[in-house]
Amino acid sequence: MWKSEHKLNRLESTRLIGPMVDNHWAQLREAKSKGEKIAWASGPSFMYPYAIGMKCHFMAGYASYCAGRHAADRILEIAEADGELRDTCSYHRLHMGMSAAVREGHEVREDVILPMPDLMISGRFCTEQSHYNESLYRRHGIRHVGIEHPSPRKEEDFPRIEAYLVRQINEILIPTLEDVCGKPFDYEKFSEIMWVLKKACLVRNECWEFFKKKPLPWTLWDYAVSLAPVIYLMGKPETVPYYEKVRDELAERVEKNIPAIGPDGEKYRIMWDGWIPWAFLSRFLGKLLSRGAAPVCGRYPWEFFPNPEFIDPEIDPIRNFVQVWYSGMRLFYHDSPYGAEEIFSEMIEDYSIDGIIMFSSKTCRLWNRGQLDLLSIMEKKYGIPSIIIEGDMIDSTMISDAQIDTRLEALFEMIDGRRKRSNHSR
Amino acid sequence: MEEVLNRFLEITADPYNSIAQYKEKTGQKVIGCFPMWIPEEIIHAAKALPVVMWRSNEPVTLGHVHLPPYNCAISRSIVDDALKGKLDFMDGMIFFRECLISEEVPFILEKNIKLSYIDFLYFPPLYLDDVGRDFMLGELEIFKKGIEKLTGKDISDAALLESIEIYNENRSLLRELYEVRKKTPGILKGRDILNIVWSGMLMPKEEHNSLLRDLLEEIRNSKVTQQVDERRKVILTGCLCQTPQVEILDLIENLGMTIIDDDLFTGSRYFISDLEVNGNPLKSMVDRYFKRPPICPTKADFETHLGDYLADMAKKVEADGVIYFLTKMCPPQLTYYPDVKRRLAKRGVPEILIEIEHELISLEGTRTRLEAFKETIGGV
Ligand code: SF4
Ligand code: SF4
Repeated sequence: MWKSEHKLNRLESTRLIGPMVDNHWAQLREAKSKGEKIAWASGPSFMYPYAIGMKCHFMAGYASYCAGRHAADRILEIAEADGELRDTCSYHRLHMGMSAAVREGHEVREDVILPMPDLMISGRFCTEQSHYNESLYRRHGIRHVGIEHPSPRKEEDFPRIEAYLVRQINEILIPTLEDVCGKPFDYEKFSEIMWVLKKACLVRNECWEFFKKKPLPWTLWDYAVSLAPVIYLMGKPETVPYYEKVRDELAERVEKNIPAIGPDGEKYRIMWDGWIPWAFLSRFLGKLLSRGAAPVCGRYPWEFFPNPEFIDPEIDPIRNFVQVWYSGMRLFYHDSPYGAEEIFSEMIEDYSIDGIIMFSSKTCRLWNRGQLDLLSIMEKKYGIPSIIIEGDMIDSTMISDAQIDTRLEALFEMIDGRRKRSNHSR
Repeated sequence: MEEVLNRFLEITADPYNSIAQYKEKTGQKVIGCFPMWIPEEIIHAAKALPVVMWRSNEPVTLGHVHLPPYNCAISRSIVDDALKGKLDFMDGMIFFRECLISEEVPFILEKNIKLSYIDFLYFPPLYLDDVGRDFMLGELEIFKKGIEKLTGKDISDAALLESIEIYNENRSLLRELYEVRKKTPGILKGRDILNIVWSGMLMPKEEHNSLLRDLLEEIRNSKVTQQVDERRKVILTGCLCQTPQVEILDLIENLGMTIIDDDLFTGSRYFISDLEVNGNPLKSMVDRYFKRPPICPTKADFETHLGDYLADMAKKVEADGVIYFLTKMCPPQLTYYPDVKRRLAKRGVPEILIEIEHELISLEGTRTRLEAFKETIGGV
């Protein structure tokens, strides 16, 4: 075990996120009793049901919520007992386990129960996002609608993919929502959600600026737990003051010279690529902290509206929203291996990164695509060492401490070696 | 019959060499397609040879440097082959988005090997009515232009129609062969059928058609008629994007089961549906893509159930059970399996799961499972 002389200074403001998130999931659990309709959504598709007045779950958001409360393992066990195969995406298994628990009355904790939906929406940028809908449909006959979000490979792919997605939303998704809810889609509400989102993201971007500071006043983990306001809490008025509080606290820290990692700030600045390991945040942070390392940035947490200036729902909110994801912020391009190089380079330069950890999920290929090539490209381009840590976001049976410790040790040795060499050559 | 079967085997025993030789002989360009749903007719109409990319039988070495062990076997195998230079005879490769892994392979190839043409299409994996159809039509037009540029040949509708006819004949001959197998179980071994279908993915369809015609003729002339086969009949399903190891097929038969029909990737999935031409050939290709069967786990198909399809298939040929070949680490198959299992159980059809990996480390575990399965279905 590493002994740590480093201490984490937690942000006070991020404690406010818990009640906001709890409230979201509590409202979902209470929706049926209030006569409200419920949707389950994956990918960027939950804002459409919000706009028509449904309560909506978000696949990855639920998984992180559940894992953060250490409730995922039990539900994964139920899924396995119900016949799910272990190599299957753990988010898929989690939802299968939850549906089995609800339908068959298995005991699970009250605060993570997910009511069965009136509609499932798959915003399919990962192909597996519709597989769980398909499975739920086959088992429970729940209504579904899918829209496809392909990742562009080249610049010339953007316009035709955007046009395709706009048609899917206008001709398939919105009519389905109108049919399920028995009322017209509320474009004004949709625009309102986008305006609030824009404001929240602008303030959130001010917070991001603090990741450029040395020493860091906060770590990526602080931001990871603050993601919900720009994802499934999007459009809620309280999301803007939340980031304002975080920003103000960060400013105060800089002024008072309080680093996130005490006593003297971080020794290593790490880019954490791939999923955030939701169920193991403190376990990983402990390992990093013991060496004075801080996770700083990563493609996944930067996926949520990094360029809010493109949000402008004035004329055609649906088209604008699609453009925001594609040609505006290039998000589905950065997600894919083709665009990863572009965003990796930006992050390494903007946030003065010393090393990269690629968190490779054994059951989700989304961020893994091209990972080994990408890391060697970055090593060549910037001379930055990198390691791969294999595991899972929520399934504890897929995490091995021995493997993680050895690889982390190797990473820090490589960074130290690189520093020595560059000092030597000076 | 042995002789004609050997001619199919010549192709599959060393696809790299046989395709390279064909290229040298004809001067035709060779385009690798991954996976099978690329309309090969477009390539064929430009007088080039489309081949469905395959899993090699060699241990993967270089592939491990680029892909983790939790990717499916075919992805590691293609990357491995390409990096070892074994696919250098290919003039181009075309991929489409059927899963996350199929998006990853072309990226790795582009970064590591030189190809004059590599493209990636976005076929809608959802049944999206006109929206999906229109989009796919656009993709096919782009694909057609790309092939025209590569080969320097314009692809006319007449050429497409001619290619479609040759491909449809191939599908129909293969279906005829499968009918023969149903009527005279055991007339061809599982490995023979696999080689026959697989070779069709690797060689010009005209030649494959001619071989198939010879084979069917020989079967007709041989005095083999409907036999009483006491062995338990099984159907194989799955093994997406690759061939299963022939040793597993032999094992099934050596344990006293007979393969009566299949729903394999290198099997009936490849030829079960014809390309029916209604006006515009490209539009007809879109129609075929959305046609069922086969029931494909990679497509978000809410209208059909693979379990029902297999149960109906089993009933039709009076099969005693279904063997589900799961391509290890293949998400579409992994997620579908529990439902197939449930539905088959509900329909009273016994089923067993067999995982297919790239390297066949030991057949013993598979043997034990298959033996137990055979007992379940009442075999002695
Ligand atoms: S495979 Fe990954 S991206 Fe896809 S649904 Fe599962 S967790 Fe999400
Ligand atoms: S075998 Fe499965 S995971 Fe692999 S490429 Fe095919 S569909 Fe994708």
